Amino acid sequence: MTDVQANDGSMQVLMIGLGDEIFAVEASIVREIIDPVPVTRVAGAKPFLPAVMNVRGNVIPLADLRIRFGMPCTADGGDTRIVVIELTINDDPVVVGIIADKVYEVTELSKSSAQPTPRVGLRWKPEYIRFIAKWNDEFIIVPDMERILN
Amino acid sequence: MIDLDAAAIYRQEAGELLDSLEGSLLDLGQTPADRTLVDQAFRALHTIKGSGAMFGFDQVAAFTHDFETAFDLVRRGTVPVTQDLVSLALAAKDHIRSLIETPDEADATVGRTILANLQILVARPGSIAEPPVEAAIAPDAGSSETAGAGWRMTIAFAPEVLRNGTDPLALLDELRGLGPCTVVALTDSVPDLGALEPQDLHLQWSVTLRGDCPREAIDDVFMFVLDDMKLDLTPLGVEPSGETVAAAAPELVIAESTPLPVASTPATPPEPQKARTADKVEPPRRADDKVSTSVRVQAERLDELMDRVGELVIAQARLSQLAHTRNDGGIQAIAEEIERLASGLRDTTMGIRMVPIGSLFARFRRLIHDLSRDLGKPVEFVTSGEDTELDKTMIERLADPLVHLIRNAIDHGIENPERRAKAGKPPVGRIELLAQHVGAQVMVTVRDDGGGLDTTRIRAKAEEQGLIVPGTTLSDAEVHQFLFHPGFSTAQTVSALSGRGVGMDVVKRTIEALRGSIDVSTELGHGSAMSLRLPLTLAIIEGLLIRVGDSRYIVPLSMIEECVELPADQARGRNFLNIRGGLVPFLRLRDLFDAPGEPDAHQKIIITSVGDARVGLVADQIIGSHQTVIKSLSKLQSDATMFSGATILGDGSAALILDVAQLVAIGQLKAETETMTRAA
Repeated sequence: MTDVQANDGSMQVLMIGLGDEIFAVEASIVREIIDPVPVTRVAGAKPFLPAVMNVRGNVIPLADLRIRFGMPCTADGGDTRIVVIELTINDDPVVVGIIADKVYEVTELSKSSAQPTPRVGLRWKPEYIRFIAKWNDEFIIVPDMERILN
Repeated sequence: MIDLDAAAIYRQEAGELLDSLEGSLLDLGQTPADRTLVDQAFRALHTIKGSGAMFGFDQVAAFTHDFETAFDLVRRGTVPVTQDLVSLALAAKDHIRSLIETPDEADATVGRTILANLQILVARPGSIAEPPVEAAIAPDAGSSETAGAGWRMTIAFAPEVLRNGTDPLALLDELRGLGPCTVVALTDSVPDLGALEPQDLHLQWSVTLRGDCPREAIDDVFMFVLDDMKLDLTPLGVEPSGETVAAAAPELVIAESTPLPVASTPATPPEPQKARTADKVEPPRRADDKVSTSVRVQAERLDELMDRVGELVIAQARLSQLAHTRNDGGIQAIAEEIERLASGLRDTTMGIRMVPIGSLFARFRRLIHDLSRDLGKPVEFVTSGEDTELDKTMIERLADPLVHLIRNAIDHGIENPERRAKAGKPPVGRIELLAQHVGAQVMVTVRDDGGGLDTTRIRAKAEEQGLIVPGTTLSDAEVHQFLFHPGFSTAQTVSALSGRGVGMDVVKRTIEALRGSIDVSTELGHGSAMSLRLPLTLAIIEGLLIRVGDSRYIVPLSMIEECVELPADQARGRNFLNIRGGLVPFLRLRDLFDAPGEPDAHQKIIITSVGDARVGLVADQIIGSHQTVIKSLSKLQSDATMFSGATILGDGSAALILDVAQLVAIGQLKAETETMTRAA
């Protein structure tokens, strides 16, 4: 998982905006992107998993990565979307919806441009970051969803 | 998507055959003289061998063949059925299972040891001069196995066999391979041309097969159609019943090839012959004959179907809601029609998932057999209510808790024979496993006639472990609840089986996770009973929809006793109510859920019963009853213990289902911390 350089070089990612940051989520784990739906608050759950919602007949948790990253939470805007992703955590498939302030595009990231995660100069914990890649002269963070959610 | 992997199908079928084999063997242990059980066991072995060879499980076929050969002596009656033999046969059954399931790990030496032991077992009685008791029936069996002269048989297939691809002519040809045959077609049941269904088989055959051939050879020919046919076999020469010849020894039967009809009943009293005639009337049928019209479906598909139906029910609820707001008779009619169809479909689907609990009970017979042997406590195992149906997931999850309870019952409950004798009880202990419907629930009870629970000792132990302050007044039921406390055990010695104090808390947790409860009843000196109350299904519950703040929640209806209005003067302050003279504490759900906003003016209390206690839950509004399709919460939110799951409401939004027992526990904890902070 950490040895990103070993693969053939490029990966399909979905660019999502959270606050003023742009993240790249691997396209292979994205199941769908939906408009915001009514959510139900879950008392007693982890703060970054504050609610559940109905997505095609299944009740799935809603994850707010902004809370996990300590970013300010803004109210839902016209561009707000929910990105439904499917991961494997401890050998069990887990479906989670992630709030995105904006969804940009699906693009290709070159893994050869991946940079090692610097230990300083970042707002969030380095273990949440899989790697940082370059895209259009910008540095894009590819977060490690399994670790963030677990 | 259909799994046509022949090996997998064989594994599954063999698994079921092995289960039935185990059942026959265990029955045999209790009634060693029952010939039909021996035959059942033998047939199961035979099919495992036959299809094993066909699907390339050569090891299985080889071992089963050797085992079958030895076991055949039992079937012929030359060797009596003993407990040793049954135990060995069970071990062999386990070995076959491991050969099938994990062929690479199965140890060939285990197989050889079993066969060697079996040889010793079956050889020993032969060396003893006087015939064992069971031999009385034996020679009769011998005669129905081998007939030196040949066989006369009537073959009647079920009419639909042709459509299943059976070719009777090929089978007759195969039969002809066993020896010279005279085949006569019987046309008695062929109907008039007008009534003739061309795809049905109306012909029957009468075949006279001459030559020395064992019965198994004939059975082998029809192995795959035995379920769909009637095969009457008579050894040649039996009909002229007058010429009964007394032969010197039973061994002669096998050696003799001349027509020696009832020669095989030499030293036998006449009764067995009657038994045989009775045998003949009944065609050789398999024990599992009755399941001929069932379809094998993978469990995952049923789960998938249930999911889809759940979604359909939710979508239908939304449609109904929408139709109500429109003033369009046409749409309303369709919505009602769909509602009717959806609820019918839901009931049918749930019915498909229901499995009789007997399949689970059968597993414990082996457990009890082994435990009773290991502990030296003879135990009689009685089950009832096997056809009580429960959701299949429920049955799967019940297995472990029941194993614990049964182990405890034998290990701690049933006394050893000496103690029982002193107490004036019959030497054989009794374990009962009962299932019955109680309202909308199923009650499964494990009852033993052992020493019962020593309430004073449990109490003493609880005081010793600091669980209660000495001198506290507690009801017996409350004391018994300590049994379910983690790490609690009153056993003075720890055995390999139980007494470590782990288990009962796991049992309780598992049962509660199934939304069930455990009741303990006991009488010192006369035994105890553990009763599990379980809902019929895990998929759908009746719920009460309530509102707390701006969120809606579901309370399982089975937990609710009544709903009352919170008296205005009690809106603040003391948190208990007077319900018809009884004191009922209540929890404010608004506080527990940190609901925003101001509480409604007229708050309602839902009185729930948790175990023996009644606890009220204060909500803002009671909306109404709701058919709740349960969706489990993601494991990412497993720390939200106040909720047991979620469901989808008519408007498409999700609502959480309250876990009342957990809520009460959390409420108590919260109250305690508050008192402590106030005190500090």
